[in-house]
Amino acid sequence: MTDVVIAAPRPAARLALNRLGLWLFFLSESMIFLILLTTRFYLRLERPPELNQVLGLAITSILLLSSLTAFRAEAAMAHGDRRAFLRHTLATMVLGVLFLLGVVGFEWREAPHMGISVQAGYGIAFFSMTGMHALHVLSGVLLLLMVYLNGRRGAYSPASYWGVEATVKYWHFVDVVWVFFYPALYLVS
Amino acid sequence: MRILSLGLVRGLLAGLAGFAAGAGVTALARAVSGLPAWSAAPAAAVGTLTGLVAYLLAAGVFTDWIAWARGAEASDPRHGPAHGPGWTRYFNPDPSHKVIGIQYTVASLVLFVIAGIMALLMRLELTRPGLQVLSPQTYNTAVGLHGIVMIAAILVGIAGPINYLVPLMIGARDMAFPRLNALSFWLVPPGALLVVTSLFTGGFNTGWTGYPPLGARDPLGAQFFYSGVFLVGLSSILGAINFLTTIFRMRAPGMTLFRLPIFVWATLATALISLTATQFIAMAFLMVVLERLLGMGFFDPAKGGNPILFQHVFWFYSHPAVYVFVLPGLGIISELLPVFARKPLFGYKWVALSSVAIAVMGFFVWGHHMFTAGLERPLIVPFMITTLLVAVPTGVKFFSWLATLWEGRLSFETPMLFVLGAIVIFLVGGLTGMPNGIVPTDLALQDTWWVVAHLHHTMYGGFVFPFLAAVYFWFPKVTGRMYSERLGKWHFWLMLVGVFLTTLPQFRIGLLGMRRRVADYDAALGFEPAQLGTTVGGLLVGLGTILFLINLVRSARRGPLAAPNPWRSRSPEWQLCSPPPEENYAAPPVVVGGPYDYGVAGSAYVRLAERPATGALTTGATGGR
Amino acid sequence: MKRVLALGAIVGSMAAALALLLLRVPLLPSPASAEAQPIDRLFGLLAVIAAIIFAIVTGFLLYALVAFRRRTAADEGRPLHGHAGLEALWTLVPLAIVIGLGIQGGRVLRDITRPAGGGDALEVRVQGLQYAWLFEYPDLGIRSTELRLPAGRPVLLRLTARDVIHSFWVPEFRVKQDAVPGMETRLKVTPTRVGEYQLACAEVCGVGHSFMRAKVVVLEPEVFREWAAGQVAQATVAPGAPQVEQPVVTAPGGGLHAHTVAGTR
Ligand code: HEA
Ligand code: HEA
Ligand code: CUA
Ligand SMILES: [Cu+2]
Repeated sequence: MTDVVIAAPRPAARLALNRLGLWLFFLSESMIFLILLTTRFYLRLERPPELNQVLGLAITSILLLSSLTAFRAEAAMAHGDRRAFLRHTLATMVLGVLFLLGVVGFEWREAPHMGISVQAGYGIAFFSMTGMHALHVLSGVLLLLMVYLNGRRGAYSPASYWGVEATVKYWHFVDVVWVFFYPALYLVS
Repeated sequence: MRILSLGLVRGLLAGLAGFAAGAGVTALARAVSGLPAWSAAPAAAVGTLTGLVAYLLAAGVFTDWIAWARGAEASDPRHGPAHGPGWTRYFNPDPSHKVIGIQYTVASLVLFVIAGIMALLMRLELTRPGLQVLSPQTYNTAVGLHGIVMIAAILVGIAGPINYLVPLMIGARDMAFPRLNALSFWLVPPGALLVVTSLFTGGFNTGWTGYPPLGARDPLGAQFFYSGVFLVGLSSILGAINFLTTIFRMRAPGMTLFRLPIFVWATLATALISLTATQFIAMAFLMVVLERLLGMGFFDPAKGGNPILFQHVFWFYSHPAVYVFVLPGLGIISELLPVFARKPLFGYKWVALSSVAIAVMGFFVWGHHMFTAGLERPLIVPFMITTLLVAVPTGVKFFSWLATLWEGRLSFETPMLFVLGAIVIFLVGGLTGMPNGIVPTDLALQDTWWVVAHLHHTMYGGFVFPFLAAVYFWFPKVTGRMYSERLGKWHFWLMLVGVFLTTLPQFRIGLLGMRRRVADYDAALGFEPAQLGTTVGGLLVGLGTILFLINLVRSARRGPLAAPNPWRSRSPEWQLCSPPPEENYAAPPVVVGGPYDYGVAGSAYVRLAERPATGALTTGATGGR
Repeated sequence: MKRVLALGAIVGSMAAALALLLLRVPLLPSPASAEAQPIDRLFGLLAVIAAIIFAIVTGFLLYALVAFRRRTAADEGRPLHGHAGLEALWTLVPLAIVIGLGIQGGRVLRDITRPAGGGDALEVRVQGLQYAWLFEYPDLGIRSTELRLPAGRPVLLRLTARDVIHSFWVPEFRVKQDAVPGMETRLKVTPTRVGEYQLACAEVCGVGHSFMRAKVVVLEPEVFREWAAGQVAQATVAPGAPQVEQPVVTAPGGGLHAHTVAGTR
């Protein structure tokens, strides 16, 4: 049998498919976070008062800020400004890594000393929610890295930058999740 | 031809190696950090992850994506084997929806046979009271494996016809994301393998539902069971993204929503459920695995958890899932009846929308699996009402089918026989669901063999029979050859008698007090004749299945050549040659009329460009634009 | 018209035959509790409705198989596309049936769960564990591995589980309730018939699930009182004293042992 290469849909149609697929993926992903959120409230877990509110606020601000830089990275690419695109992508990555350090490096280390155990009570929700979210941030950082490297090689142009768009949308999505998680973990009792 | 050119073989070997490596690294890491080096559970968990990645990489599922991530131009998916004979493409990652459809269908049959063998094991034990063949532990594992592998066979089985047919039916070249589609399929073999591995790693006692706290205390086998289901679930989510995008964005010109073949509507409704609900079983199982591995007490009351939470999360998927099983099947029934009755589908819009109604309502009934379980009191009656309401859209389908037959001109080839059988069997399943849904009667029925009989009826009638009908119906399209009617009819009658012989005794002893998932029952209860009936029924189904497999293999190789459209169907795929060309349609077909205007003089559904139609149907061009 | 009559005759006779069969053959174990009666009546109602619907669908199918056979290969059916009135009919009638069933189900549920008035109920604490049942009568100060109940008096079972989920079920009582670790579930039953029954755990709970049974004895009230008095006199342990010894379960053929099988991890 010979190789058959089948013509793919035209670029505009391809983009429309990709966008719909991405949104469906987000819809599907959001269920995971919804379940964790529900779990936290269904179990009526008590938030310990010792929780480090300053750190919580700090990492939340970092993450929100990173959404802004991500947005500007995409806008820059849409205008063909490659330098600004690279700068903002890098900034987003750095902020993402800071967030991860804040959560996994500080919070997780501190938590056991504040009586938050992985195994019981509030810690179940705390670790599963921050853990699942951190996993997503980490994958977002890796995607950004990929986009950054490809961007440096000049893989994107204002006419074609789906990789950038998808990654940035994913980043926003992960941020929005945190907007729900933060109050559920730090503010509500 | 070298065996390593088969992606499946490469993948599985690499998967094993990856598993060993992962387990080894875990042991090493534990030793370094001062823990006892060998602990089976974490080693198996890490090994599963590394094994999966190794399998996917070696099978070649990621090849294009890796190239893309490294900055290569997004290339068009390549079709056809790079080298080697044509059949090898079925054992390699291949982006063609037709290849993937066949891969899914065959995988489903394999899983059906595995799960059926588990059923026969159980039957061996239960035919007589007392413990004869299996230990209670093995029996419990067999029940759980039988249930979950059958369910996996269904999830995989619906993806077969959907993949093969939906692009053809809507006039598309392929699915929206062909590589993602391949990934969906390639997650199935490791998923199934992991689930079956549980048999050799201590088993699990919970049945397919995996309830903690028992599931959290079960032997290592449970961990394999949970992780295997996880992969099958992931596969079904990714599949759903593909189906929905394809249906929404890749329809041929003129293919408005209300001109879609009904099977596509069913797919739409099904995919909506898979997309949004599958996460729930995945998360429920993930949480149990975390409880097992890290001691996170999600479901352990001593640690602030709650076992009921699991049941909510689990059934929030697993009830809608039963409509995932059944909606494509009902779609196939609606698709085939008009062809064999030579009549329009009665009430097309109602039938189409009832699928969506069932899918949506299915999200609000999960509590009916928990009526005796300690479900929150105020929720009981609302769940009863919503459960009963699902009968209404289901009834719409039944009555529309009957009206479709009225004044039709019926013929009874094998696919039609399976369709009629499906209607009767599913009817019994649906009606026996009513007393389950009504709380006071369910208090007597929950966890008895009444429920077992109900679920076999719904799944046989809602999935197995329609699926078999579909396999026979589209066999000439897929292979270009005709199956043997004689063997097909034998298959049908053996199945029909076998199913009723399996389930009627189950209903009977379920009412009398036969509990689920017991390896032994009290001889004094007098269940022996009924148990014997169930066993004989299972054997008849097994015999029928063997005939079926023989028929498939023999006819695919030596069957008489089939005409392009032996059923005189109006559906676009039948206007192509058999098997359809690699790129499906030379140009997008134009839809000019309704799908089921059988018997309407001069009507047309689609007009194909270039490639000549088979004559019978696309005659006049009336009713177009 | 002739068609409709023939069809009506087929469906009617099938429905009648099936309903009679379902009502005549004793399908459930003979009832032994006050709760069983309304439940059994509900089963009867459901059997009749199911028989009718089954007859409508299969009777029609049978008729169609014969009446609408294809005669010549090119035969085409009559192109009926739909009928709004019929669609409304077969949406609304099932809707009405289903709502009626829901109301009836709700009523029966209310009746069988209504709390017994005036502290009249006998309270029994039931604990499920792998693989046995323990019963405690807090008002009488008795513990037992058999459930003895007086006939005619409502019993409030307060169920808990020590390890995994179990389920309390006596088929003759009809009602069933899971015993869940970490919470108390309740079940009201009013035994009516003196005799011996078997309590079987209905929720899979491990390798000994098949054998997790206990004897349930319903006694005349006086006999029950005598038994209770005898137990209290015998008991050397006061309520609140150390737990009852973990019972060892022996299973035919398996030789199962509570200590060796529990929590095999
Ligand atoms: C394909 C799968 C499938 C389907 C379609 C259904 C359909 C239904 N199921 Fe079933 N069910 C299962 C698979 C399925 N089920 C499985 C696998 C389990 C066991 C899980 C386990 O392992 O524990 C289960 C268990 C189960 C339970 C829990 C039992 C228990 O554990 O106590 C309940 C309770 O309400 C229930 C109810 C129903 C109802 C009301 C329907 C309805 O959707 C049926 C509607 C259809 C009809 C009623 C027939 C057609 C209608 C008409 C002809 C119209 C006129 C009819 C009337 C007016 C009544 N099912
Ligand atoms: C699609 C779903 C499906 C199907 C088709 C079946 C088919 C069968 N089931 Fe299954 N069953 C379930 C889904 C299904 N089941 C589920 C979900 C449960 C609940 C599990 C749980 O409680 O956790 C269950 C539970 C269940 C029980 C209850 C166990 C218990 O609670 O203790 C029993 C008992 O008899 C049973 C029996 C059978 C039998 C005899 C068949 C037979 O019809 C099967 C016949 C098939 C074969 C015999 C295989 C055919 C092939 C061959 C033999 C070919 C030979 C080989 C080659 C050619 C290579 N099933
Ligand atoms: Cu206890 Cu089953
Ligand atoms: Cu359900």
